[in-house]
Amino acid sequence: MSLENAHARWRESAANLGDRSEYKSVWDRQAQDADVAWLAVAGHTDEATLDLTARGTIDILRATVGLDPSDVILEIGCGIGRVGKPLSRECLHWFGADISGAMLGHAAARLKDRPNTTLVELATVGLQEFPRDSFDLVYCTTVFMHLFEWDRYRYVQEALRVLRPGGRCYFDNYPLDSELGWGIFTESANYPLDRRPAHMSMTSTREELRTYLAKAGFSGVTVHDLPNGMIAATGRKPETGAS
Amino acid sequence: MSELLDELNGRIAALQSELDTVRRRDAEYRAHMVHEFLDRGERNTYLHTLREQLAALVKREQEASADLEELTRKLEAEGVVAAALAAELQRIKGSLAWKLSAPLRAVDRALASPKRGASRPAEGDPVAAEVFTYYLHTSPFRIYREQSFTLRGWAWPRDGRAVTAVRVNLSGRVFGGKTGLEEPEVIARYGPQPANPRPGFEVTFETPPGRQSLSLEAQLGGTDWRWIMQTSIWCEPARP
Repeated sequence: MSLENAHARWRESAANLGDRSEYKSVWDRQAQDADVAWLAVAGHTDEATLDLTARGTIDILRATVGLDPSDVILEIGCGIGRVGKPLSRECLHWFGADISGAMLGHAAARLKDRPNTTLVELATVGLQEFPRDSFDLVYCTTVFMHLFEWDRYRYVQEALRVLRPGGRCYFDNYPLDSELGWGIFTESANYPLDRRPAHMSMTSTREELRTYLAKAGFSGVTVHDLPNGMIAATGRKPETGAS
Repeated sequence: MSELLDELNGRIAALQSELDTVRRRDAEYRAHMVHEFLDRGERNTYLHTLREQLAALVKREQEASADLEELTRKLEAEGVVAAALAAELQRIKGSLAWKLSAPLRAVDRALASPKRGASRPAEGDPVAAEVFTYYLHTSPFRIYREQSFTLRGWAWPRDGRAVTAVRVNLSGRVFGGKTGLEEPEVIARYGPQPANPRPGFEVTFETPPGRQSLSLEAQLGGTDWRWIMQTSIWCEPARP
């Protein structure tokens, strides 16, 4: 499939904004074939670029929350396993969770030679499939822009529950107060009301992310400015206390 | 002094190594625990599905019991009608008129010539019986309250011929069905059926109100039609 054709198919696969909460069907529709799925989650369709951007994300994780070879890691919204494929080489076990079973189908194909990876389809918003106090690191990258605010917070709460005491979390999004974020905001604002797609990117503010993590109960909450123009909020699950 | 320092460094390195090992074992245990939890989740989902299926079966059993009771009442009513008709027939056969007209009936029988060269059977004509091994997944023994019904099952004739088509003859109206549906569990249980490797079928037929005669029929070897089972059914509007 040509890139142009993939772009056309992607546009066709878009649901209306009113369906945004129907995350499973919205993203299953965007994952009908591999090229469209790659475009939807990464903005391009070639493995080399995918790997390059994934390594960029891994560098950011290393710089913000740290990575350890003994880490048990959970990615929320792993899509086609863009980050998981290279990251699985740097941890004990990588779990990828996504609400779209169709996306996970593509991820499974990409990760078939990675024995220390596990893919889990989420039934709905949340991480109810996972037990508490399990992971060293929970991260969620290039996902929040596709979620409503309440669902962003739900994942932050759930991350606290499934992290082991002392475990780290990472959540990123485009910041409203940057050139990049404002560009996304104004571009979205220009959509005709009745043609806003369900997957349309919505920015965050630093205060929003900081508030989610603090309210959920994370300690050491920090908001980082990332080299790719995004912001990321990180924190730790307290060693003692409720989760 | 330096020996002490070396010893301390050695102990620190050993402890660090031990700590790394413990950390790794802890991480392996947690990863294992997550997998156990996921497996349990799958088992719970399966259990939930089974419970839903059980609830549906219980509901169906209750409906079937209600249908059975209603069918029994209908049978009793039909029995009363049949007894009344038998009494009426007995009364007619005992009458003087019946006795006086006996010679006329004898002449009529003598004049009646046997039918020769039977014409080609029409699609809705009755067909002969054949011995089948069969099972119906959707039982036809019920009160029919919907506009249509799909009979699903599997069948093969004991003479080893291939079932090439199926149909339902409902009081003279014929409804074609699909054959050749997979039934792996049946084949596993009964063994290979060379002429009928996929013995499943389904036929959807309309259920107009009233009492109907239902004949489930199979075409064997692309030529002869034979009935698999026949019964009367009652079709009634849905319960309010």
